[in-house]
Amino acid sequence: MYNLRVLRLLRHSLITKSTAGTAMTQSPPYRLLASQHKRRPQLGAVPSDQLEQLKADYFERSSELSNDEWDRVRSTLTDSYKYINDSNVDAVVLGMCSSAEKLPLAKSYLSYLQAQGIKPNAATLGRMLRVYNAAYHTRTLSDEEQAEIVHICDTLQGAHEILDASSCEHLIHGLVATEQHWQRAVPLLEMMKVTSAPSVTAYSTLAAKAFAAEQPELAWRLLEEMLQARKLPKCEVYLAHLAQSAQQVQTLGAQLERLLCFLERHDIVISDLVAQQLLALAQRLPQQLQATTTRLDRMGKCGACQQHLQHVAISDAQFAELRESFLAKVLIRNDVFQKSTPQEVARFKQYVEQTAPYDCVIDGLNVAYSTGNKKPPQQLAKLLATVVRYFKERRKRVLVLGRQHMRNWSRPAMQYIQNNASVFLTNNLTHDDPFLLYATLHSGQDTDFFSRDLMRSHAFLLGSELKAIFRRWQQEHQYSLVTQTQTGQIIVKEPIRYRLSAHKVGNVWHVPCCEVYTVNPSESFEVPEKWLCLSIAPNVV
Amino acid sequence: MLKNLVHWRAGKFLLNRVSRAGATRCLCTPFKNQTNESAALGDAEPAIRKHVNPFAQTTSTPLPDNEVNESKEERDKRLKVLQLEADIAHQEGRRVPALDFFKEHHWAHVLTLPSKSARIKYYAFLWQIEMKKESEQRKKALRAEGTERRIAEMRKEREENTHIIYGLAHTSMFLRIYDSTINHWQNNRLTRAMQFAPKIVLDCSYDAHMTNREASYAAKQLMLCFAENRAHDEPFDLHYCNANFKGRCMQSLERFIPTMHNPEFPMNVHSECFTKLFPKQQLVYLTPHCREDLVTYNPDDIYIVGAMVDTVNNEPLSLAKAKRLGLRMARLPLDHYLQWGSGSGKSLTLNQMITIMLDIKKTGDWNAALQHVPRRKIIDLGTEQAQGRQALNRRANKLNVRIDHLLKYENNRPESTAFATPQKVRQHKDGLDFNLDSWATGKKKTSRNKCEGGA
Repeated sequence: MYNLRVLRLLRHSLITKSTAGTAMTQSPPYRLLASQHKRRPQLGAVPSDQLEQLKADYFERSSELSNDEWDRVRSTLTDSYKYINDSNVDAVVLGMCSSAEKLPLAKSYLSYLQAQGIKPNAATLGRMLRVYNAAYHTRTLSDEEQAEIVHICDTLQGAHEILDASSCEHLIHGLVATEQHWQRAVPLLEMMKVTSAPSVTAYSTLAAKAFAAEQPELAWRLLEEMLQARKLPKCEVYLAHLAQSAQQVQTLGAQLERLLCFLERHDIVISDLVAQQLLALAQRLPQQLQATTTRLDRMGKCGACQQHLQHVAISDAQFAELRESFLAKVLIRNDVFQKSTPQEVARFKQYVEQTAPYDCVIDGLNVAYSTGNKKPPQQLAKLLATVVRYFKERRKRVLVLGRQHMRNWSRPAMQYIQNNASVFLTNNLTHDDPFLLYATLHSGQDTDFFSRDLMRSHAFLLGSELKAIFRRWQQEHQYSLVTQTQTGQIIVKEPIRYRLSAHKVGNVWHVPCCEVYTVNPSESFEVPEKWLCLSIAPNVV
Repeated sequence: MLKNLVHWRAGKFLLNRVSRAGATRCLCTPFKNQTNESAALGDAEPAIRKHVNPFAQTTSTPLPDNEVNESKEERDKRLKVLQLEADIAHQEGRRVPALDFFKEHHWAHVLTLPSKSARIKYYAFLWQIEMKKESEQRKKALRAEGTERRIAEMRKEREENTHIIYGLAHTSMFLRIYDSTINHWQNNRLTRAMQFAPKIVLDCSYDAHMTNREASYAAKQLMLCFAENRAHDEPFDLHYCNANFKGRCMQSLERFIPTMHNPEFPMNVHSECFTKLFPKQQLVYLTPHCREDLVTYNPDDIYIVGAMVDTVNNEPLSLAKAKRLGLRMARLPLDHYLQWGSGSGKSLTLNQMITIMLDIKKTGDWNAALQHVPRRKIIDLGTEQAQGRQALNRRANKLNVRIDHLLKYENNRPESTAFATPQKVRQHKDGLDFNLDSWATGKKKTSRNKCEGGA
């Protein structure tokens, strides 16, 4: 079942192939045929496949179009699309020329506008700077081009005192493409902060240029700022840093150490691209750096150097801080009545004082409902009893948290639980998550907890400084139930006791890698597949 | 009559004011200022981190990021930059309207938005309005010519008519009843309700917990509450308590009902709390987060409905408030009488709540009262079964399979079994076979005429 548009595309491509006689790119129609489930295009935007077709129509053939042809392009755009009118057609056209090899096309469009006497507006000039930036990544720009860039920047900055965020971003990209004028981009970043938080690309391009232009201090400052704003630097920053460090062999060790410490401090996972670059660097300079890809075995041992990774434990002081603020920030928050009553909190505290310390605290309801919401109560109770037995077999002391209605669950299972664990039942209305975490924290660093909950809301409520500490503690101490097999056996996911970020073991750095760079990495505790095992030779002075 | 009304209302409040012995804390201030609870627990805690909703509108406490005493020049500069931002985004073809579409109040709103993404969403909303307007104008231009012709014809007809013109606006036997007549009549009924009917309270103290949009939705629902109460056979005496007149919800309500504050308009809006107006033992807080169902409606109780739209914030705030004030709580017996589907969840709007309470007061029958819950949210077991059976029958007809011997015993599981064959293995459908002799003769088919088919 193909819809008409796809058929038309197919026919069109066949016709053009036959008439043009040259090799036309055949990929677009097949890409469309592959999946009929496309995301609905946003109202007002030109659909991307039609853009592709327009580009193929007009731009594939030559690198310059005459004035008449540009006229035709312009009128086609304004006529066929409802939301493209005279004020935004220029920017749209330049947006279509945004890749590096289309720079001559873009230039010819600007000269066409000049010939017609149309003054290009600010958005058009900004997009022009982006095209220059794209071209800069493939080759160095000539002097006239750089002068052109500077001229555009002067025009834009002269028109307004404070520029908005997107113009600033365009200007930064433009200035970074020049050799001598890129320093002007730094105050522009400050100007961006007036209206919005500067974007990841703005920070990344500027930092990469700072590395390339041998001003690492500026680059590091920008990177720290970026991570304060919780934005992850793009791969180009690391690539630029590596390229620049490779040029000075004496300081290579120190630079790499600095980079790796930075990755460790912020729990950054590098992408495959950067990993490849590191490996290439190691191959070129084997005396300074040895690097191999490796995997970890279940106990956290590196396959290459056979050393165990560092423990993820947090320090005692951090643990104490976490414990103190937990009750205030999460349980009470603003209003204790929302989550519980004061009498119940007091009763719970008393109970915990009496029966602490535990080896594991189990979130009864979370465990019981793990296999499904609508199971009968005897099955729920049995699952809970199975989990308690799991810990009893390993001779651990357990606290089970639940609610009053659990008294009505099946008698034998609840008896077993009562006999083999301490049980605390809260009112049926209270949120029992914070109780779980409080009991675990109170018992000390050795206590684990059992729940499938990701605890994202609690992590958020603790604030950004404590959030990282909480996450590490959670990674080290959370058991979760994966599933229950047909035979009734349970599969439990044990906590990962070793660190999942870049760190040093002895003298060897272990760095985790992911496949591609993502803007917002997910927060689950998965062990990265690929690790790099690096040893940096100490500097011989 | 108006004068008496005003005196009477003032007198009623004096009567209702309960003097309480002993120290009573005013427990009706917004939640953010309650730090006493934690002190009662005896824990020495550091300064409690306030959970600040950047979109909530508060009158007393300003947002921590926005300095309220921003000077005028800074505000103007910021406005200029934001205008430039909108202009450039429009030039790039993004979903931002042209600069001349923006009005003063638009820019005032833009300046209060906290982040760039909030601005982008607001601009997209305005862009949609602009596009709709343009499309309306285009369609109007298309239709204009046809409309002119029609009007000209009508005018010509009327001029040529020398006799009486018959029609609704001209000569007809129908008496025109104006909206204002109905309104006056309904207001009159409301004033009687204020004297004699049971009371219901709408608690409007949740402004700080709603976003701007939610506050506007709440205002619309409050307006609908008033309207539906007024239009009902036996209206309640409706009271809006804890109203913050500077807040977004009340401002929007004033735009819906401009005569709200007039003394002759039968709407009771108070900025005080209901605990000051009514005795505590009569109050029952209706909240979905508690466990006790409301079994029978008691006309002596004053029921309180929290006026909050809780799409974003789903904390049990009404439960917390009722617990703190020590009031009785109840929830509607929805689980008992209705089967909820997987639809939009168990939340009911304010006007649905009020109509349910109106009906339960009038009839005492929960099934009738809960008809006001939208049908899309519940699974109606009767119609579902009927639909299922119809689909099954259609399929069986297509395949020429007999299933009626199974459906006959549907409710009696032990008796029906798929292995029991019906009496005849295959049978022509009754009445569908064609017999040329008796066709179109008008004779009824009897069992002797029917040919029963074998193989």
